[in-house]
Amino acid sequence: MIRSIALFLSLFSPVLLAQTPSNLDELLEQVKKDRVVEQQQNELRLQNFIAERDQQAQLLEQAKAELAAQERRGEQLNGEFEANEELLAEQESLLQERSGSLGELFGTVRQIANDSRGALETSVTSLQYPERNAFLQALSERRQQPTIDELQQLWLTLQQEMTESGKVETFTTPVITATGEVEDRAVTRVGVFTFFADGKYLRYLPETQDLVELARQPVPRLQDLATQFEQAEPNTWQPTVVDPTRGAIMALLVQTPNLKERIQQGGWIGYIIIALGVIGLLIALLRFVILFVTERGVRRQQKRADKPSAKNPLGRILSVYDQEQDDDVETLSLKLDEAILRETPALERGLTTLAILAAVAPMLGLLGTVSGMIETFQAITLFGTGDPKLMSGGISQALVTTELGLAVAIPILLIHSALSSKSNRLIQILDEESAAIVARNAEQHNNRD
Amino acid sequence: MTDNLFQIQLLMESGGMVLWLILIASVLMWTLIIERYVYMFFRHPKEKREVINHWNQRHDRRSWYAQQIRQGMIAENRIRLERYLMLIKTLTMALPMLGLLGTVNGMIQTFDVMTVFGTGNTRGMAGGISIALITTMGGLLTALSGLYFSTQLQQQVTRTVDNVADALRRD
Repeated sequence: MIRSIALFLSLFSPVLLAQTPSNLDELLEQVKKDRVVEQQQNELRLQNFIAERDQQAQLLEQAKAELAAQERRGEQLNGEFEANEELLAEQESLLQERSGSLGELFGTVRQIANDSRGALETSVTSLQYPERNAFLQALSERRQQPTIDELQQLWLTLQQEMTESGKVETFTTPVITATGEVEDRAVTRVGVFTFFADGKYLRYLPETQDLVELARQPVPRLQDLATQFEQAEPNTWQPTVVDPTRGAIMALLVQTPNLKERIQQGGWIGYIIIALGVIGLLIALLRFVILFVTERGVRRQQKRADKPSAKNPLGRILSVYDQEQDDDVETLSLKLDEAILRETPALERGLTTLAILAAVAPMLGLLGTVSGMIETFQAITLFGTGDPKLMSGGISQALVTTELGLAVAIPILLIHSALSSKSNRLIQILDEESAAIVARNAEQHNNRD
Repeated sequence: MTDNLFQIQLLMESGGMVLWLILIASVLMWTLIIERYVYMFFRHPKEKREVINHWNQRHDRRSWYAQQIRQGMIAENRIRLERYLMLIKTLTMALPMLGLLGTVNGMIQTFDVMTVFGTGNTRGMAGGISIALITTMGGLLTALSGLYFSTQLQQQVTRTVDNVADALRRD
């Protein structure tokens, strides 16, 4: 800095110092003087440059020396790094060698914790030991090595579940009843398979950890078994029910529709079939009462053949003879036939209707089947065969109407057969026996004469 | 013994309610068939003898009156012999229909399972199919066993009635 100012001053001082010359000689003097000064100044500058050049050369020397030193150091460090790298690899392989089985153990522990969390959450014993789920979850999500304590606790938890799944226990816990209320009940569980309270089977919902009473219970025999099991003395043998699917079969029960839902599946054809069945049953009941009363009257009349009463068909036929005693045999025979013909339609009334109903009900069932299949195929047209759930609506209509048709036809068929054999019998009595009774009466009459 | 009973109970439960109906219907049918045979071979001969005696004791076996009385006797016999025959026949007709009812019932259960679980739950579907097959089998088996006897009874009755008619001679 100082040097550059000096240089600046030396360059410009002649100009600054110069005085305006008054004549040519003075100018010559002035020029001569200035030349000397300039020469001196150039000398000075040259010296300065040389000095500076030497200085720079020295600096270059210095820098070169430093570079060499640094290069040497770099080489040294490189060597060191390589050595360390080698050491590190060596140490790592040593670590792997030493912790090889431990690393596997960690993975296994996490996997087992995860698996058993799934299994234990769906197990009903979670109701009695709710804290273990949190522990298992924490263990399955850990990134570090598990401690000995944790390993032991995992082992104990699994052992506990095994022991509990072999036990029959009764404990009090809140149960959601079929009406939706929450009540404290004494629940008996058979291992982790079946649970019941007061003879009603329960279902465990792992998502909410609730016990729910099944809306539809299994057959009464199994319910009785549950009740007997609950009331049994401790340490005695008692048969019971085990659901090896841990509640999956019990859950299926809830899905089966009841009678009312079934009938609704049949649609309007189903209702028509049921209406026909009701009409048939009413006709059958009416005819049964009428035929029963008539048959009783006829039987009574058979025993007291001499006193015909107008209240039953046989009596009415017999009274023909009483009115026509004086006629000849041929006239009597014709009159009897006429009287019999008058009586038979009343006995056969309604039977044809029943026969038609018994024939029509399965046909209506078939109609329902076809309309259900049409629905199914429409669903297939729209959605393809990919979703069986969409197709099964039409199929269940088809099947339910067929079933209803059969269920209506079979009883009506049986009733029709019973009624028609009854009425046939009565007609045979009227047809063939009435003449015999008349003949007997006439013979007695003639003998008395 | 209890094991066999248990097996039967299991079969009945796997067949559902319709199988019970088939059982009741077939038991009823067989009771009636056996009753008919017992009547025809043990009780009816006595009745037949009585009727023939009664007829032979008559002096007059020729007049219109006598003919009518003979007809009446034969008719009485036929009515007694033909009792329940129609019911037996109807039961043999109704039993296959009951089997079909059970089949449809089983298929409904199968499709119920399909509605809820799709076609994946073969175990659930098999329950319905077993009902369908067991009831069909039961219905056909009982109906076939009854069919022969119902026809045979019918023929036997016709023959017996003819015999009675033959025995009552019209001089």
